[in-house]
Amino acid sequence: MPPSTTVSRRRPVKRKAPRGFLKGVFKRQKPHLRLVSRGDLLVHLNCLLFVQRLAEESRTNACEKKCGIISKDHILAAAKVILKKSKG
Amino acid sequence: MADRFSPDSEPTTRTLLRRVLDTADSRTPRRRRSAQAGSPKTLLETRSSTRRRSQTKTTARQHSHGGRSIGRLAHVRASKNLEEQTPRTLLKNILLTAPESSILMPESVVKPEPALQVVQPSRRESSRGSLQLQLPELEPSTTLAPSLPAPGKRKQKLRLSLFQQEVNQGLPLPQDPAGNADASSLTSSLNLTFATPLQPQSVRRPGLARRPPTRRAVDMGLLLQDLHDNSLALAPPGDSVRAAVATLPTDTVLEDTQPFSQPLVGHSPSVYHSRAHSSHIGTEDSERAAGHRTHSIGPELQNHKLQPWPAASSEVSEAERSKGAVEDNEPEGSIQNEDISGRPASPEMASSTPEFLQAKRSRQFLEPAPTQPDVAVLPPEPKEPVPAKLPLRPRTAGPRRRQDPYKAGLSHYAKLFSFYAKMPIEKKALEMVEKCLDKYFQHLCNDLEVFAGHAGRKTVTLEDLELLMRRQGLVTERISLHVLVERHLPLEYRQLLIPCAFGGNSVFPAQ
Repeated sequence: MPPSTTVSRRRPVKRKAPRGFLKGVFKRQKPHLRLVSRGDLLVHLNCLLFVQRLAEESRTNACEKKCGIISKDHILAAAKVILKKSKG
Repeated sequence: MADRFSPDSEPTTRTLLRRVLDTADSRTPRRRRSAQAGSPKTLLETRSSTRRRSQTKTTARQHSHGGRSIGRLAHVRASKNLEEQTPRTLLKNILLTAPESSILMPESVVKPEPALQVVQPSRRESSRGSLQLQLPELEPSTTLAPSLPAPGKRKQKLRLSLFQQEVNQGLPLPQDPAGNADASSLTSSLNLTFATPLQPQSVRRPGLARRPPTRRAVDMGLLLQDLHDNSLALAPPGDSVRAAVATLPTDTVLEDTQPFSQPLVGHSPSVYHSRAHSSHIGTEDSERAAGHRTHSIGPELQNHKLQPWPAASSEVSEAERSKGAVEDNEPEGSIQNEDISGRPASPEMASSTPEFLQAKRSRQFLEPAPTQPDVAVLPPEPKEPVPAKLPLRPRTAGPRRRQDPYKAGLSHYAKLFSFYAKMPIEKKALEMVEKCLDKYFQHLCNDLEVFAGHAGRKTVTLEDLELLMRRQGLVTERISLHVLVERHLPLEYRQLLIPCAFGGNSVFPAQ
């Protein structure tokens, strides 16, 4: 019998995925499409990786400009690059 | 329970009650409460009917729980009485106590009568209890109605006295306590009162109607005084009223000149929420204070009907730091009603426009129609901001909700960004991150749509997502999707995504 996915002692999931939010976003964008039940988890994974790449790129930009704080411009430049990469 | 009822030679009401109370206490704390409440009440009843009524009224207002327990108590008592010889006085006392918990005084009084009869004491009591439990319930009342026999003169007298008392207090009561029809009507009327307290109360409480006129004067004065900066003192109330009316589904405001005409929300708690919300909003915007104030006052007035009015007013006073606000609200409401009636088109406009426009309109409105505001001169200053806040909430409820959850979700990822960056980030930079995320989601959905369409499907599956990640360069020959899932997702999600073999030749998740 396939065991349930729950752990014996249900502890709260760390770094939960906002499944409802992701599902809602997809529905709003493409109401005529459906998303598989576990698909939003992979979407969450995709978002995490995107944010990670964006943060890395912004950090690089800020360090190159020798700033201690990530500013808007750094993010703008980083976003251009990363969004292009994530075009798929 | 029954056992304890050792028959005494001459069980007095006190002893019987005590026994019942003991038995009731053993059952539940609620019963204890009711039992205890009931015992003194019964004693009082025996002494004077008036006292009982007053007590019952208070108890009725407090709980339906008490009624339930009392009903059970009565049940117990009735059963016990049946077992023993039950003096009429005892039963009557029990009966008297039963209704105390619920406002359905006349009914409860009638209910005990059938209990006396051996035919169906338990059923009646249960029904009685259920009735007492929830006033608005029609079913128990209907079941009870047929079972209720014609009450004796004594009950009629009691009912009448009760009725008179209640009428004096202004509570809505059924007209004739006697007869099944009465009981049903009572319940229905009672249900009406509870279900829609606003309407019947406004009709039944002519006394309240008097209040608005005096308050109007105060209200306007308050607005004028408080609005040093804005000349909109008059306009906002009208606007707020219109906006509130527009947003609120009830049309009664237009027709009803009474300040307490019910607006849509019939529940004081909802009003409270709106109030808290509106107050919150009002504090945020100082510019729209005038508009907000009037707005809040409008919905307040509309939302508060006679019955909730005192409660609402009390709350308002607390929230608004002064009782005058309530007064202000009333006169404003009346004024607003007049305004509304005068301008049917305004609500439509108000509903469609956002707060800013409404405020502007209120200004415009104020200028042409500065009638009543002149009257009020005494309004306390703090009251204005508070009433204004309330009307805000219903207006912005729709658009705000749509934006907030989306923004909340984006900010969730923005926080992750700040965590991954390991450097301090500007606030504007975080907003930029949210914009980027928004664009990213759009791209994501488009790509998924293309992939699913390419596969001839209308459902986006895990394969499409994996293909997307591959195209993005996240999944390579060296790094598989499973590796990424293992690295970045918590265990619970990993169990859902990566198929794993379990005992018994089973794999989860199934493939």
